[in-house]
Amino acid sequence: MAVEVLEPFLKGDTGRNTRGLLRLIILCTIAAAAVASRLFSVILDPWFNFRATKYLVQNGFYSFWDWFDDREASHPVAQLVYEPRKPAEEPKRTRTWHPLGRVTGGTLYPGLMVTSGIIYHVLRFLSMPVDIRNICVLLAPGFSGLTAFASYLITSEMTTSPSAGLLAAIFMGITPGYISRSVAGSYDNEAIAIFLLVFTFFLWIKSVKNGSAMWGALTALFYGYMVSAWGGYVFITNLLPLHTFVLICMGRYSPRLYVSYSTWFALGTLASMQVPFVGFLPIRSSDHMSALGVFGLLQLVAFVEFIRQQVPNKQFQTLLRGLIFVVFVVSMGVLVLLTVSGVIAPWSGRFYSLWDTGYAKIHIPIIASVSEHQPTAWPAFFFDLNLMIWLFPAGVYMCFQQLKDEHVFVVIYAVLASYFAGVMVRLMLTLTPVVCIAAALAISSILDTYLVAENPIPKETQANGQATSDSIKSAADVIKDSLRSTRNPVLGIYSYVSKASVVGAVTTYLLLFVLHCTWVTSNAYSSPSVVLASKLPDGSQHIIDDYREAYYWLRQNTPDKAKIMSWWDYGYQIGGMADRPTLVDNNTWNNTHIATVGKAMSSREEVSYPILRQHDVDYVLVVFGGLLGYSGDDINKFLWMVRISEGIWPDEINERNYFTARGEYRVDDEATPTMRNSLMYKMSYYNYNALFPAGQAQDRVRGSKLPAEGPQLSTLEEAFTSENWIIRIYKVKDLDNVGRDHGSAVAFDKGNKKKKTAKRRGARVLRVE
Amino acid sequence: MRWFVSLLLITLLGLVQGLSSTGSRLLVVIEESSEKAQYSTFWDDLEGKSNNCRGYKLTFESPKNDKLSLFQHGERAFDHILLLPPKSKGTSFYTITGDVDLPSSGLGPALTPKLLLQFINQNGNILLTLSSDSPTPTSISSLLLELDIHLPPDRDSLVVDHFNYDTASASEKHDVLLLPQGSRIRSDVRNYFGGDGTIAFPRAVAQELGNSSPLLAPILRAKSTAYSYNPKDEAEVVEDPFAVGEQISLVSSMQARNSARFTVFGSAEALENKWFDRKVKSVDGRDSKTANREFAKQITAWTFMEVGVLKVGRVEHHLSSITGDAPGNDSVAQLGYLNPTIYRVKNDVTFNIEISEYSYDQLTPLKVDASDALQLEFTMLSPYHRLDLVSISQTPNSTVFSRTFKLPDQHGIFSFRVNHKRPFLTNVDVKREVTVRHFAHDEWPRSWEISAGWVWIAGVWITIAGWVAFVGIWLWSEPAYEQSKGKKMQ
Amino acid sequence: MPPKRASQISPNASVPPIPKAPSSATSSSSSKSSSAPTQTAQTAQTVLFDLWQRYLNTTPQRVKLIDVFMAFLVVVGGLQFVYCVLVGNYPFNAFLAGFGATVGQFVLTASLRIQTNPENKREFGSVSHERAFADFVLGSLILHFFCVNFIN
Repeated sequence: MAVEVLEPFLKGDTGRNTRGLLRLIILCTIAAAAVASRLFSVILDPWFNFRATKYLVQNGFYSFWDWFDDREASHPVAQLVYEPRKPAEEPKRTRTWHPLGRVTGGTLYPGLMVTSGIIYHVLRFLSMPVDIRNICVLLAPGFSGLTAFASYLITSEMTTSPSAGLLAAIFMGITPGYISRSVAGSYDNEAIAIFLLVFTFFLWIKSVKNGSAMWGALTALFYGYMVSAWGGYVFITNLLPLHTFVLICMGRYSPRLYVSYSTWFALGTLASMQVPFVGFLPIRSSDHMSALGVFGLLQLVAFVEFIRQQVPNKQFQTLLRGLIFVVFVVSMGVLVLLTVSGVIAPWSGRFYSLWDTGYAKIHIPIIASVSEHQPTAWPAFFFDLNLMIWLFPAGVYMCFQQLKDEHVFVVIYAVLASYFAGVMVRLMLTLTPVVCIAAALAISSILDTYLVAENPIPKETQANGQATSDSIKSAADVIKDSLRSTRNPVLGIYSYVSKASVVGAVTTYLLLFVLHCTWVTSNAYSSPSVVLASKLPDGSQHIIDDYREAYYWLRQNTPDKAKIMSWWDYGYQIGGMADRPTLVDNNTWNNTHIATVGKAMSSREEVSYPILRQHDVDYVLVVFGGLLGYSGDDINKFLWMVRISEGIWPDEINERNYFTARGEYRVDDEATPTMRNSLMYKMSYYNYNALFPAGQAQDRVRGSKLPAEGPQLSTLEEAFTSENWIIRIYKVKDLDNVGRDHGSAVAFDKGNKKKKTAKRRGARVLRVE
Repeated sequence: MRWFVSLLLITLLGLVQGLSSTGSRLLVVIEESSEKAQYSTFWDDLEGKSNNCRGYKLTFESPKNDKLSLFQHGERAFDHILLLPPKSKGTSFYTITGDVDLPSSGLGPALTPKLLLQFINQNGNILLTLSSDSPTPTSISSLLLELDIHLPPDRDSLVVDHFNYDTASASEKHDVLLLPQGSRIRSDVRNYFGGDGTIAFPRAVAQELGNSSPLLAPILRAKSTAYSYNPKDEAEVVEDPFAVGEQISLVSSMQARNSARFTVFGSAEALENKWFDRKVKSVDGRDSKTANREFAKQITAWTFMEVGVLKVGRVEHHLSSITGDAPGNDSVAQLGYLNPTIYRVKNDVTFNIEISEYSYDQLTPLKVDASDALQLEFTMLSPYHRLDLVSISQTPNSTVFSRTFKLPDQHGIFSFRVNHKRPFLTNVDVKREVTVRHFAHDEWPRSWEISAGWVWIAGVWITIAGWVAFVGIWLWSEPAYEQSKGKKMQ
Repeated sequence: MPPKRASQISPNASVPPIPKAPSSATSSSSSKSSSAPTQTAQTAQTVLFDLWQRYLNTTPQRVKLIDVFMAFLVVVGGLQFVYCVLVGNYPFNAFLAGFGATVGQFVLTASLRIQTNPENKREFGSVSHERAFADFVLGSLILHFFCVNFIN
């Protein structure tokens, strides 16, 4: 693929064909690289999605739609009601969200499951019997290949230089920020959502450029698909209107804009309302109001334009403009009024937390408690995006230079996404595409400038076997008038030395980037979350497999119907690996129920026990890292439990009580009584002293010495503790058989005899019957 | 074939089993085998040698016996225990070296409070008799304390009543109480201890029941003129007696949550032969024969699960719309509609429960008092419904209670629960989990069934029709368009 | 939905068959714009008549056809909206489907009008009239599918 060989073909018709073919091959290679780089390790993680997909595949779409998840995987609703059941098929009954259950069909985004279901059926139709599990595992890598393709398309819309598109594709294919969500087995909504996001944006730009209703309709269709796949669709819902609004404000209204936006809005809104989970939200919630408002504004503007064409009267026009302004203000006022009066739902909580990072902590701790919703740390940007993070501003600057409609879009997207990515780690994902696009624009303009001269291309670039360099070379010829700075490339860049050094530097950077991506992918993002790995002093790897040990213990040793209470982080894992019903899980749709669990964990035993009884809890599972120094344990998450339950029961739970007088969060001798009496504390440290010589018990996570006397439990009994004490499982005792309270029952079992009530204090209490 | 086997089994069971519904192995703990003879009528009654077949297999053991063990291979070795008080006064006949910190006197290593409690927890029944002649072993009193039954602190205390005593035998000491049989503790409680006779209660130990435990119920209470005192006390006037009047329980019962029964009988002497058939004379001069034998039978019958035992038969629930007389005359069960695991909100559901009561030798239909009711709860976290079950039919052995109701408009995992706990009756706690799901998408009314929706449907179809017309005209008007275009071009 | 409503009705009024809004607008403008005395003298009727004439003369027939269809849609949508305000929107999904169908169809038709209007020729270099019509049919079909599905 030496450039010299290509040189003769790069002009004229054959040249175009060859270039097209070459581009296609490169794209395919990129897609293959994107898929391959995600296969470092395979473990199917989000169990719920997988289970849902299996249900969908087994029972068909309609019963999936009506699925009430009591985790009876083999029983479609319709069959149970209308057809007799054979007693032989007694289903295994385990349930999630005990005892509330979950209207699954109405509380999830079905796009992911439907996609894999369709793929499954298509493959079956082609007589390729593939296990649905394999599809689920490979779905994310497959779609990342498509994402690379989509980012090629969208970048090609930005510039005439095809190298930019190819660069964007390869960036998108291997950037760690995206890989983190799409490794093989990471079967989550984001797996397909990012492709849909980028592709919807591509269609939108296409439709704005052409003013074609067809592209608009396609945008709407993919928008509808996106809505069905990921809650992040709100980003599109607000970005497209914002783009339109900015264009109108810049005086760039055009009939093309009208056509594309109106088509998108009318069709897209209806499409989004077809998703049961979204329902009437698009016209009820404030998140969607900007789209509606811009739609109205656009109609007004179009109307004015229409009138202007009809009536060529200057004053008339000015007056009309005033009229439009008044109408706009009035409608905004009505919107605010409706929001205040409650007809339209106010902005959702997650949205507020975007603007005020402190908001979530105070008002919706359940959102703030998720680590993905924390503000992003600065190193994370570099870690996830590497060299693109400094190419990104350059690319955005180049967009400013041209500033056509599509460039305005990229600029807006860049600004919004950077802000959001700074607020929430999770939204790094939405930033990644635009960073790739902008970085590709910047790099390609550098390469276009320096690689092209009348003279042959320097030898250095040939040494690179990477796909990146392929794209560089193929792009080498096209400069024409894409960038102002490249119009006169002959200005000063005659020297081979400067060319060679710049190109060499860029190539080195690109190679480093590839290295970084490979390293990150193989190390950071490919380790499954249920198995911890640690390095022993001698350098050998030590696998800590406590989670699976405990889940299998549960599976083997507890009754099928035993209800497990744990903090919601472990809900999916318990449901999936231990196959036992849980009270709450990672789908945090019911804050109150989670708060109930939080209350049970953070209260005294006397308060917790009735809660446990009421919810039929049989076992309580806690994660304790004190022995191993595993910091992601429940004591460290404990304050979130306190906060979440304080949100519901402010009279009973008070966060302040868990801190010492000096405001420290401690677990040692100085821990407050509330802290030391809380169920979570007791369960974590119960019997922990026994591991150490007297008075030497040490918590390695908190780095503190524990009280000499360990906590006593009376309503629970220890059932299981894993090898490294990471998982501790407790059994909830039944009521005492002979009517004693648990405290005295435990005291009796320990041999403490009750004192005879020889001396009565106060009045005698008579028995009345 | 199958019915033959079951018949055989039933016959065998009938042979093996006595009257008790749980088993017939009875351990009698008695210190001196010489004392056995004093209770011979009582033993005969239990073994059923004389009149009826109660059929207990009595095993007499001394607490001193090292080999005595309540459990064998982790299971109960006996079904019931009858504890008689140790005779020798004040002597510690066994010293315990085990883990339990019992002081001097106990009942040996096989009968520590822990083991006795474990026996109860494993559904064993205990009849404990006390006597003021002999001190109560600390092992027993600490067990009673756990159960919230209190004994007088002085070991020699006994109950006297200056208005209801046997003038024939206790004209001076007034310590043989005469009590009528058959008082109920509450009007709504089943009385298994009724009768017309008089019970003589010589030298009884008073018990006082704590107020906190719902499991306790007195069976026989002293009259309001009785009080408990220590005869060794030299004082003329009894100050601050341990218990007085009806607070004194002479026979008390505790039925554990697993329905195991524990009865404290205040006077072991009352079970002796001499009191079983004796003329007594009350204060007002009436002569009568004691009904102790009858009463002893009632007490043992209740304690050893011969009466007041409820058995739950079939528990069924199904959609009410599916009834037995559906086309084809299949029963609900045959259709396979019985006990589905899932219902929909607002379904009409019928719940049936069959309960029988075991009474001495047979299962009888349970009758619920008019003032009481058997209730059904439909509950998730808290009851959404609490309904009285109605008896709809009776078989010779059981009553079928039923109720039809509409499920609440709330999806989730609910349970049908019958939680019937009454004094002297074993606990019934039946729980059946079912899932209540939401409306499926095709169970909502279609929009054309809602008349208010017709306008909008019309709107949609008018729009579509208009669109079709428009497209048609557009295509048809193409030449005209060309012309106009042409004109414009010109 | 006030913005939608405003936008919905005002273009309706703009289309000459129901010339109410422009008349009010023109009258207000004429009354307010005191700078030009000739305009004040001009009656609203003549202005409208001029407009109407101008429209009849310059508009191609197909565009007129589109305008008629749009007017029809406005009437249908307006009726639905009035009914909703008067009676209520009980099956809310049905109301949304019905009203959305009209609005969506209106917007699509407006797009077609813009695209096929010869005055906008230079904006839509890549979109021929046939292409525009095909797009329009495609968009409408999708719209109808969603609406019928939504109303079920």
